[in-house]
Amino acid sequence: MLLLLCGSLCLCACRKDPVPETPSKDADLTGQYVDVSSFPESFRKIFLLNEGGMGSNNATLDFLRLSDGMYVSGAFRKMNPDVAAGLGDVGNDIAVHGDEVWIVVNNSGLVEVVSARDETEIAAVPVPTPRAVAFDDRYAYVTSWAGAYATGSYDENGNYSVTDSRNPKGQVYRIDLKTRKVDGSVEVGYQPEGIAFYDGKLYVANSGGISSQLPPDYAYDNTVSVIDTKSFKVTQTVDVQVNLKNVYSDGKGNIYVTTLGNYWDVHSGLYRISTKAGSGDTVSKVGDYVSVSALCGDTVYCIGTDTEFDWTATHVYKAWRVQDGNRADWPLDVSATVPYGLCALDADTFLVGDAGDYFNPGSVSCYSKGARIWNVNAGVCPGHFAVY
Amino acid sequence: MRKAGLIALALVLSVSWTLNAQDADTLAAASVWSVQVFPVVRPAEQVDLSAAVAPPDQVADVLRRFTGVQVKDYGGVGGLKTVNVRSLGSEHVGIFLDGIQVDNAQNMQVDLGRFSTDGMFMVSLYNGQKTRRLQTAKEYASGAAVHLDAAPPLLVDRDAGKVRLRGGSFGTFQPSIQWDRSCGPVILRVSAEGVVSDGKYEYPYYDTTLVRENGDIRSFRLETTLFGRLRQGDWRIRLYGYGSERGFPGPVVRRALGFPFSAERQADRDLFVQGGWNQDWTTRYSTAVKFKFADDYTHYDTHPEKNPMALPYDLHYRQRSGYLSVAQSLILADSWSLDLATDLQRNALDTDAGQSVTPRRTVFTGALAIRAAWERFRTAAHLVYLGAWDHFQTPQAGGWSREDAFRDAWMPSLSFFYAPFPFLELDAFLKRTYRLPSFNDLYYSLMGNASLVPESAAQAGVDIQLKHGSGPWTWKGRVSPYLNRVTDKIVAIPTASQFRWTMLNIGTVDVAGLDAKAEVGYDRKEWKLEAVLRYSFQRALDHSDVSGSTFGNQIPYIPLHSGGIDLATGWKDWSFHWQTELVGAKWSRTANTPDYYIAPWTVSDVSLSRKMSLPLFRHRVSVPEVNVDLTVRNLFNHRYQIVQGYPMPGRNFMLTVTYLW
Repeated sequence: MLLLLCGSLCLCACRKDPVPETPSKDADLTGQYVDVSSFPESFRKIFLLNEGGMGSNNATLDFLRLSDGMYVSGAFRKMNPDVAAGLGDVGNDIAVHGDEVWIVVNNSGLVEVVSARDETEIAAVPVPTPRAVAFDDRYAYVTSWAGAYATGSYDENGNYSVTDSRNPKGQVYRIDLKTRKVDGSVEVGYQPEGIAFYDGKLYVANSGGISSQLPPDYAYDNTVSVIDTKSFKVTQTVDVQVNLKNVYSDGKGNIYVTTLGNYWDVHSGLYRISTKAGSGDTVSKVGDYVSVSALCGDTVYCIGTDTEFDWTATHVYKAWRVQDGNRADWPLDVSATVPYGLCALDADTFLVGDAGDYFNPGSVSCYSKGARIWNVNAGVCPGHFAVY
Repeated sequence: MRKAGLIALALVLSVSWTLNAQDADTLAAASVWSVQVFPVVRPAEQVDLSAAVAPPDQVADVLRRFTGVQVKDYGGVGGLKTVNVRSLGSEHVGIFLDGIQVDNAQNMQVDLGRFSTDGMFMVSLYNGQKTRRLQTAKEYASGAAVHLDAAPPLLVDRDAGKVRLRGGSFGTFQPSIQWDRSCGPVILRVSAEGVVSDGKYEYPYYDTTLVRENGDIRSFRLETTLFGRLRQGDWRIRLYGYGSERGFPGPVVRRALGFPFSAERQADRDLFVQGGWNQDWTTRYSTAVKFKFADDYTHYDTHPEKNPMALPYDLHYRQRSGYLSVAQSLILADSWSLDLATDLQRNALDTDAGQSVTPRRTVFTGALAIRAAWERFRTAAHLVYLGAWDHFQTPQAGGWSREDAFRDAWMPSLSFFYAPFPFLELDAFLKRTYRLPSFNDLYYSLMGNASLVPESAAQAGVDIQLKHGSGPWTWKGRVSPYLNRVTDKIVAIPTASQFRWTMLNIGTVDVAGLDAKAEVGYDRKEWKLEAVLRYSFQRALDHSDVSGSTFGNQIPYIPLHSGGIDLATGWKDWSFHWQTELVGAKWSRTANTPDYYIAPWTVSDVSLSRKMSLPLFRHRVSVPEVNVDLTVRNLFNHRYQIVQGYPMPGRNFMLTVTYLW
């Protein structure tokens, strides 16, 4: 059951900013050289969070530096020798905000904030079992399963104490981007996972991954909680499908939500919540079979297999994408890997994390114009990417 | 089930009567002693606890002194301790108490931490096939076997007993009492033991030092055994009850201040009754009947109200099992004997864990063994059949339905013994065994895979023993090279959707190893000396997937080199024991990279004890005595972990005072 936490989530936003050249403290870090000549020129770095195995304290942060094509492994430990315990146990999400990288370290109960320029630690914010992070201008919002077992509060020193242990619902914690301290929380559904911000609202995918294992109902959650960021209250709860996972906003009013299915008769898939003003939210199914997914611009890329519930089958992965709610084929052959994480850099360039046997270190493959151009060694369970 | 059992029993009994009838034409009884008396092979390691100088209090500590054995220890008084022999995996190691297997159908892990050496007489390890007359079929059916045997007390119309007080580090207090009473042909033994420990010890946490929390334990064991003698046989019945309540301190990881590592607790209540009856019906034909009924209950609670990082589980498990074994042995001719053992077992697991089923398993094990023994050469061939039927009660909500399943396997083995000279003995064995998938492998919610087949272990080994004695000196040497291959190894891997893991028969491990041991002993007048040097080489390679990145690497937690040094000295009433365990480098992952490297470590334990006869009672026939023993474990305060994330205690003390009468 604990293995369930070893999940994948990839949020990858395409950026079109001009890239300034600045000398950085991590310029001396070297690793494996890879070919980045075909990459879009709008990025400085691509970060990769390797989850590690639960209880093994081996989450690691890798990055690919586009200026010299260097793929550097274990950058957090190398740049922060004072943090003796390393990045921590089970890296669950990573996102770049400004010049900061926010890393959600699930089983360490920490949201680690490091500099995107040189990976040095800026802050480590305690949040009980954090899962995923999203931002608006003032706050970072972190989903947490803490409510699944205990709700607590922080004192003025930032120490946490449990106030309610009977509440099975999850929370979204709000962290002030200036003070980097927790500034309130709001209750959402059961075991919230992905979170996305669009137009003054947060969309939170509730999974029910734990409540499905517990009496009395043994049931998954099937809702998206919508939080108004001004009042920081849940204003709406949208029914979608059981066991929700990732949330993406295409910036045009479409919220895409992935489901893992119930591993029995409901398959994994992608759903769209249309938030057009005046007409109310409507939910529609986009397609089945999503093992990994990523957002780039207004397009969500998905890779899945229709034999996902046949555990002894050799899986054939099919790739597809969706734009403005329209599903289209995406001719990418990933048969050389078992996809665990996905990063879309533009319509032609993708990185796929391969977890191998999930116990030993995996690898990252680069696909350019449909062809696999390189593969480098990564950490255990390479699942989450972010671009800077 | 009951019907099937009765039919099987009836069949077995009818066979035995036929054989008994055949036995009417008796052959010369005098020539058959060899098959009856000698086992075909000797155990690889054996400790006679009643004769040993300062024997350890825990069975796990006895096994740690055996060559080729790895004790996996999660640290602390209540920490899980499992045993792995020759890299086969702990599921392939059978633990037998008076010849009856201690098993756990749920996860196939027997926690050795629960066995004290109180009341045990002999602890033996068999790498090859244990092959004696009147074994149960299950004794033929495991890859390696650890036997724990209690011997009937030697008493004539009087009582005897032992009170032991033990205490020391980690706030440990462990009192026990044993009382033997002889009533004619029956001897009664009652024994009880309690353990209280707060389990606290310091350990290095990255750049600082922390105290291990939530590792406390309280446990209580109460046993009654009846030993009976018959004209041509004997019987025994053991009633056993064990209760414990303990915390699991959890793995040491980076954790935000204010969130504890773990608040997990487990409460256990184990009850069983087991017994056996051996009977020689004629000089050639004997039978042994053994049985066991067990009822084990476990409550596991992660206590989320105390730990905001815990996954909220509050689960109850109840395992019940019934077991009956009938073994028959017939001496065919001068040096030949034939054994047939038939075992029937029924296991049931009930739990309130979500989406899990309530499996019932019926296992038939049948073993046919033929043995021949001459003065210098002995041999045995065995064939074991294992058949297991699984079926289910209605599953709980969640939608999984399970099909009833049948699994079976044939397990052949051969043993040889040859003693060309009085100082040289050679053993060899060939063996193939299977272990059934556990209930957790098959049916654990969100993980099990009901299509698993049994995991196989094929073994070949040779054992060369040299011994020599002159005057008070004895020298012994043993070299045992071996080859093992584990196939269809049950491994957990995620499915296409990553959040649902499953178990598959995909692993292959090839092991090439060597156990070596050198012993020297001196016994004269008031002096007794013993020095033992042990070495074990294990190259255990992952050969699961030729294209995999870890193909050909050493499997996790198996050191290439390991060994130990034991020194025991006795002088008059004093005895002194020194033990050093040396464990070479290993990895915690099949990826043999620096990130997963576990550095070599050595740990030394030392103990000093004194035996005192109480002068007040000098005039009596049997003189009560008091033993005082002080043990210092991890004398040099070495910081190490056997399982990564689970720090072991530093230097710790234990004082034991035993009063025997």
